[in-house]
Amino acid sequence: MTRYVLTRLGQALVIVILVTLITFVILHLLPGGAARAILGKEATLQQIAAFNHEMGYDRPLWEQYAMYLRRLVTGDLGYSFQLNQSVAEAIAQRLPKTMLLSVASTLLAVVVAVPLGVVQAVRRNRWPDYTINGLSLLAYATPIFFMGLMMIILFSQVWPVLPPEAPQGFTLAEVLADPAGLVLPTLTLTILTVAVYSRYVRSSMVDNLNENYVRTARSKGLSEGRVIVGHTLRNGLFPVITLLGMYLPALFSGALVVERLFNYPGMGLLFWQAALKRDYPILLGVTLLISVATVLGALVADVLYAAVDPRVRLKAGRS
Amino acid sequence: MEAPIKQPLLRLRDLSTDIALRRGTVHALDQVNLEVNQGETLGIVGESGSGKTMTVLSIMGLLPAGGSVVGGEILFDGRDLRGMAAPELRRVRGVEMGMVFQDPLTSLNPTMRIGAQVAEPLRVHQGVSKAEARERAVEILRRVGMPRPDKIVDDYPHQLSGGMRQRVVIAMALIRSPRLLIADEPTTALDVTTQRQILELIDDLREEFRMAVILVTHDLGVIAGRADRVAVMYAGRVVETATTAELFRAPRHRYTEALMRALPESAHDGDGRLYSIPGLPPDLSRPLTGCRFAPRCRFATDECRTTDVALTGDGHAFACLHPVTEPVTIAAAAGHDRAVPAAAEPILTVRDLVKEYDAGGAGLRRSAGRVSAVAGVSFEVRPGETLGIVGESGCGKSTVGRLVAGLETPTAGRIVVDGTDIAGLDRRARHRMHRQVQLMFQDSYAAMNPRMRIDSILTEPLEIQQVGDAAARRARVSELLDQVGLPRRALERYPHEFSGGQLQRIGLARSLALRPRLIVADEPVSALDVSVQAQVLNLMRDLQGELGLSYVFISHDLSVVDYMADRIGVMYLGKMVEIGPAHQVVRAPRHPYTKALLDAVPSPDPGRTPSPDTTIQGELPSALNPPTGCRFRTRCPLAQDVCATEPPLSGAAHQVACHFPLRQEAGAAATA
Repeated sequence: MTRYVLTRLGQALVIVILVTLITFVILHLLPGGAARAILGKEATLQQIAAFNHEMGYDRPLWEQYAMYLRRLVTGDLGYSFQLNQSVAEAIAQRLPKTMLLSVASTLLAVVVAVPLGVVQAVRRNRWPDYTINGLSLLAYATPIFFMGLMMIILFSQVWPVLPPEAPQGFTLAEVLADPAGLVLPTLTLTILTVAVYSRYVRSSMVDNLNENYVRTARSKGLSEGRVIVGHTLRNGLFPVITLLGMYLPALFSGALVVERLFNYPGMGLLFWQAALKRDYPILLGVTLLISVATVLGALVADVLYAAVDPRVRLKAGRS
Repeated sequence: MEAPIKQPLLRLRDLSTDIALRRGTVHALDQVNLEVNQGETLGIVGESGSGKTMTVLSIMGLLPAGGSVVGGEILFDGRDLRGMAAPELRRVRGVEMGMVFQDPLTSLNPTMRIGAQVAEPLRVHQGVSKAEARERAVEILRRVGMPRPDKIVDDYPHQLSGGMRQRVVIAMALIRSPRLLIADEPTTALDVTTQRQILELIDDLREEFRMAVILVTHDLGVIAGRADRVAVMYAGRVVETATTAELFRAPRHRYTEALMRALPESAHDGDGRLYSIPGLPPDLSRPLTGCRFAPRCRFATDECRTTDVALTGDGHAFACLHPVTEPVTIAAAAGHDRAVPAAAEPILTVRDLVKEYDAGGAGLRRSAGRVSAVAGVSFEVRPGETLGIVGESGCGKSTVGRLVAGLETPTAGRIVVDGTDIAGLDRRARHRMHRQVQLMFQDSYAAMNPRMRIDSILTEPLEIQQVGDAAARRARVSELLDQVGLPRRALERYPHEFSGGQLQRIGLARSLALRPRLIVADEPVSALDVSVQAQVLNLMRDLQGELGLSYVFISHDLSVVDYMADRIGVMYLGKMVEIGPAHQVVRAPRHPYTKALLDAVPSPDPGRTPSPDTTIQGELPSALNPPTGCRFRTRCPLAQDVCATEPPLSGAAHQVACHFPLRQEAGAAATA
């Protein structure tokens, strides 16, 4: 098990290094280079040359990459001249809020999607399956900004029970102080996630219910509930674990739209604003962070998978 | 054999089962009547689709989606299961009945510990505590012959071999001390030596627990050795029931007779062809009148086709208007010595062939060891000859096949096809080599692209090898279909539209497309029913005569290999332990492993009892660290110290690799 985790960690590290290499290359492919991006269109050639020299951009590429890596290791993601703030600081301010949104909506989605998927699998090709399937397809096909708009119209205009704007504030505590404002953004993200997850749970449960071991379990005279909860559910949830890890980027892109829509001061909004203002240090910093988070997400999913599925452990033990 | 018992433990009275499918309702069972007494083994035999599995699934309430019992009674101990409330029914099925399934590899929950799975019925139905359940699980695992049961209760299924997993399934069925044990093809997925262990275990346990056993199988040999009474099923009906001895001595129904004649064991002399039943079983979703076997029966009259024939007779009952009167014999096939031109140069010569694989190899750390799949195998095949290779799973026979067909490259050794060593060929020469050697697969359906029509499947090899123009290819494909006996219109259809036997014909046609001189057939008939198997084997032999083909015929089934092959090689754990003329290897084996393998094959002759002293014990050792010297010595009853040194394959025509061969080579004095 330990060796398995170490192997996967090693692989993750290689991928992260590749990611830094790619962001580094993107930094150098920027039109006019980083200097033009930071100093603006009006900068003179002398200003650019001075900037490049100051930042070390006139040195050989490998040296620059080494410096870039060194800065990354020390947590220096660059400096946003537009926010007049280091990138790391800007992210640190907003990351906890986005995590709150993501974690809450994902947890809620899993809690709702698993029973839905199980019901669908057990009542396959009958009305509960068709109904849930139709609804989840509808949710899946609805653009997330439209879904958010509908939520706002329904719950703060037609039936005004919830505020249309997310809580504002610098710290997590300030955000948490206004829980009512969190409901609509969280729900919007949840609905989309439920649609994805319930379909996975359904197909995985359908596959498992057709397995021979389920017939064996039934031959022991177990009740249907025991067969499903005691035997099938655990095996049916394995794909969801993988999905949890892989769904991270999709979740962030969802957060991007939702945060913009509800004006929620998280990473998504930060990225949105940076994109509008061509704040490249922020964009690259966030991209790097999301990439690393994706790699870590996959890693955590794999390790979790190994922890619950004995078959994975054996393969690792032999390697 | 038992003192008279007032009523049978289980009685099926006019049991009918339907399965609702989208395209209509399949009447899987039609008025099935059966009885099983306590302490008795009832064998149910029939081909796929005959309803034998549906019968036991109806009893256990495990019918697939859409399936339901629509008529009749299932009387267990005098009570009709159909009238029982669900919880009571679950208790009866969970406690008083136990079931063993066909595929032990998939019938256990992969993520539940063995102990928990075995003891689950106790926990659920009797509310036994966790600690006690574990103790009982260890106890029952010990009883079914599990080594180290106290360790194994905490293992997961994937850590055990197929035979061991089947023991776990049996233990799971027995822990409830059932009065009825249902075994549905319990050994079909297992090797013969393991099969023998499992069947013997079920026999012992039946006596010990005084259970009734229903043994469902397609294998007449298994039935002959183990059942007290037999029911033969065809197209959803029981067509004949009798005591085992009576049925095999004098079968009355024409279907039973045809089944027995189709066995490779009963190949009659002369042309050596097998009797094959023409046509296919009827479509059970249509209304049927008359005897269901009539369309395929040589003796059918108009009366057979119009009147419903009922099962009549006490003891030996059968539903046939023109029953067999002449005796049927499953003659031990006389050695069929076909004239093989011995002088010709071998088409294939294999010398000291070695294939090793890296073990594991996941992640950054590679190769904790090497798996020795094939370890120094040598043989040759002459033109027009069939070499059979037999052995149990993991012996390396399929690897040899893939190496010869050029699908894998050997680690060491030479493979000479028609004078050229294919191991040293470059890519283009290797490409051309495929014209000489072709492969025929076990599962032709899986081996064909489901989205390609048959004409594309058959034309593809010609296109790849750039043989002829489009017109010539079309002509060749039509010719191929004629050769394998399929109609031309098959060309426009897709693989899923064909039956297993037809697919195997297409597979054979595909491998013949390039006019190869050698075909490597890897378990070509293992997935087929006996009657269809006979058709394919006949076809393979006909084409061999017509086209002068050579076959390397790989199979685990000794009776099929015995029927097909001129010479047989026996493999064990990557080594060729014995090779020689087919009739000598089968009738006068020289290696202890060959002898054990032959003795383990269930024979369709109830009179024959296997000698208990030749049973192989234990499990196949790992090919990761194979035993030094003779690889069979860890399980061999004759093993001595000298066996730690490797015995060479020695002898003239009939060679054996053993320090203590069972007998001298037959006719050795004559050749010496």
